[in-house]
Amino acid sequence: MSRFLTDRTRSLILASVLASGLAGAAAEAATSIDFYFPTPVQGPLARELTRIVKEFNDKNPDIEVVAVYTGSYDDTRVKAQAAVAAGKPPGVALMSANVVLEFVLNKQIEPIDDYLVENKLDPKTFLDDFWPAVRPNATIDGKIYAIPYQNSTPLLYLNADHFRAAGLDPDKPPATWTDLVSDAEKLTRREGDQVTRWGLTMPSTYDYCGWLIQSFTMANGGLFYNPSYGGEVYYDQPSTLGALQLWKDLAFKYKVMPQGVIDPNQVSADFFSGKASMVVLSTGSLTFIRNGAKFPYKVAFMPRNLRNAVPIGGGSLIAFAGLSPEQRKAAWRFMSYMTSPEALGHWSRFTGYFSPRKSSYDLPEMKAFIAEHPDALTALQQLEYAGPWLAVYDTVAVRKAMEDQVQAVLAGKEEPADAVKAAQKAADEIMKPLTAKITASVSP
Amino acid sequence: MSARKAALAGAGTALLVGVGFVWSTPFLWMVVAALRPEGYGPTALASLAPDFVPTLANFELAWQSADFLVDYANTLIVVSGILGVQLVTITLAGYAFARLEFRFKEALFYLFLLQLMLVPPILIIPNLTTTVRLGIYDNLLGVMAPYMASAFGTFLMRQAFRALPRDFEDAAVIDGCSFLALLHHVLLPLVRPTLVAFAIVSVVAHWNELLWPLMVINSPKRQTLVLGLASFTQASEGAAEWGLIAAGTLLVTLPLILAFIAFQRHFVNSFMSSGLK
Repeated sequence: MSRFLTDRTRSLILASVLASGLAGAAAEAATSIDFYFPTPVQGPLARELTRIVKEFNDKNPDIEVVAVYTGSYDDTRVKAQAAVAAGKPPGVALMSANVVLEFVLNKQIEPIDDYLVENKLDPKTFLDDFWPAVRPNATIDGKIYAIPYQNSTPLLYLNADHFRAAGLDPDKPPATWTDLVSDAEKLTRREGDQVTRWGLTMPSTYDYCGWLIQSFTMANGGLFYNPSYGGEVYYDQPSTLGALQLWKDLAFKYKVMPQGVIDPNQVSADFFSGKASMVVLSTGSLTFIRNGAKFPYKVAFMPRNLRNAVPIGGGSLIAFAGLSPEQRKAAWRFMSYMTSPEALGHWSRFTGYFSPRKSSYDLPEMKAFIAEHPDALTALQQLEYAGPWLAVYDTVAVRKAMEDQVQAVLAGKEEPADAVKAAQKAADEIMKPLTAKITASVSP
Repeated sequence: MSARKAALAGAGTALLVGVGFVWSTPFLWMVVAALRPEGYGPTALASLAPDFVPTLANFELAWQSADFLVDYANTLIVVSGILGVQLVTITLAGYAFARLEFRFKEALFYLFLLQLMLVPPILIIPNLTTTVRLGIYDNLLGVMAPYMASAFGTFLMRQAFRALPRDFEDAAVIDGCSFLALLHHVLLPLVRPTLVAFAIVSVVAHWNELLWPLMVINSPKRQTLVLGLASFTQASEGAAEWGLIAAGTLLVTLPLILAFIAFQRHFVNSFMSSGLK
């Protein structure tokens, strides 16, 4: 019609219409299910997971699992919910462990119990092989809804050279908050008003921020949220306030940590370049730190105030509602393949996450790995003190309600006492659809 | 006097070079980081100067980490498909809003503009539902469909047509010119700069888009470039491999950069020659 829609343009449009139409009409012989997965740690993980899925497909010619890369944990959640709403639920998804509850509340996933019973397995025996810390996020109202796949906890990494130079013993890392502050003060180097080396740094961007404030709250004796009811968080309790006060004091009172919101990539870059002596990062970063640190480093438990306690993080496999009987069979075969002790052990060695399954660590290849990398053991030992991760109604929004306040405090714009109150108020508001139901049920 | 003029011109050039350098720093850094060998130490990370023996290892790793050829083809189909339809729809709609008289014209136009205020994420579920009903879920057509009309483009074309004196059209009509011939011979050549400007914005936006393709596409063989890039560079735990990210990003942006260099004169002319006045 004009020189802007030349024949070439027109044929391109036509070709694209044809190409996409043809591709959509591909025949399906085997039972096909979609598997959504995010890649929470960088590198060739998506490729490795795709390879594992291909291996499964080769071994099971009657099943075709389509591995769908779905972005971040959060994108994966959005995509799964949109796909369910549009009537195209995936078969299986690797989902952030703390949003499983939402899918249960929305009745979008099926209990793993049903699958276990159908396959003549006892749910209790099945769950017993998983570390106690990962069970609560996977179990809702007494039923298993998710199979933990990759898990982590926060961990303290320290530069052993800096410790020795400051007259500290790297084999005696700070065990308490008092030790943490005094060690960080000794490690911090100042030239006049300028800090040339920070004693400590840790990430405070979304997701990490909420995870770490929960970690400090737990170490301060607190609970952070009600693990048996998704409508309660304890943001304005003294334990949370104390945790936030510590975080603020590290930056503003003792000045051993940079002020402001800090990106996790900045944290690891500062640690590698010797600009920070201690850092808090996920156990999932262990492989990356091991490969990147050009100096002797040590890993240690998160320091305690009243008790040793950390939240778990990571992702679990969930199976969606609305699958055909053939698809259910395929989904179960795939999930049991992915979560065998051997497969979880392999994934743990490949990524740096710990395997949620105890029996993975009885395997000879895992024993050999830990003998070679004893620091992997510290992460595992800390598991004994780990608890579930914030999981409530609309977890991400409720988590952000707290994170926005923590970030305001770290930017020096707000006082902790006001911040926790504002966070509590915002969180209560978000959870109203759930809490209103409860109140209504008890009113006469 | 002329010496002073020359000095001024020199200072102006120096200033522009300075601004140009600042503007291109992220790009230069990306090139340097992409060529830096792995394990070179993050201390050198912030450095712009290439203080090492360059390596293509990052490119090799990036190339292997995603199916780039397929992704290039898919992205090309998506952006050219969207643009092709958009050029037709925004020209016709823009002309209608600029020249034709019909009932509720103003109200309709504001309704169109209102679309620009909507944040895309709230449309994900309704759009995805429509996509499934149309049978174009997990299909490149599904990626293109929501963009085939553009409120921004319609607005831009309406402004462009309104800026044209009516006399041109009247003269052509008096000479017995049909609407399509009028469009072809008179109007389109005059609004060409606007169309080119819109094309650049459209192509860049859809080349870089992540969220919607992520929602619609399942099959790896229908992935777009940004999906492929994200699959090996996104991370929430762990930490960044900057060399790989830089190399991957360079591979993704390269066709756009090459296209810009090739058509630079054309683009600049389009922006400069407003055609009238």
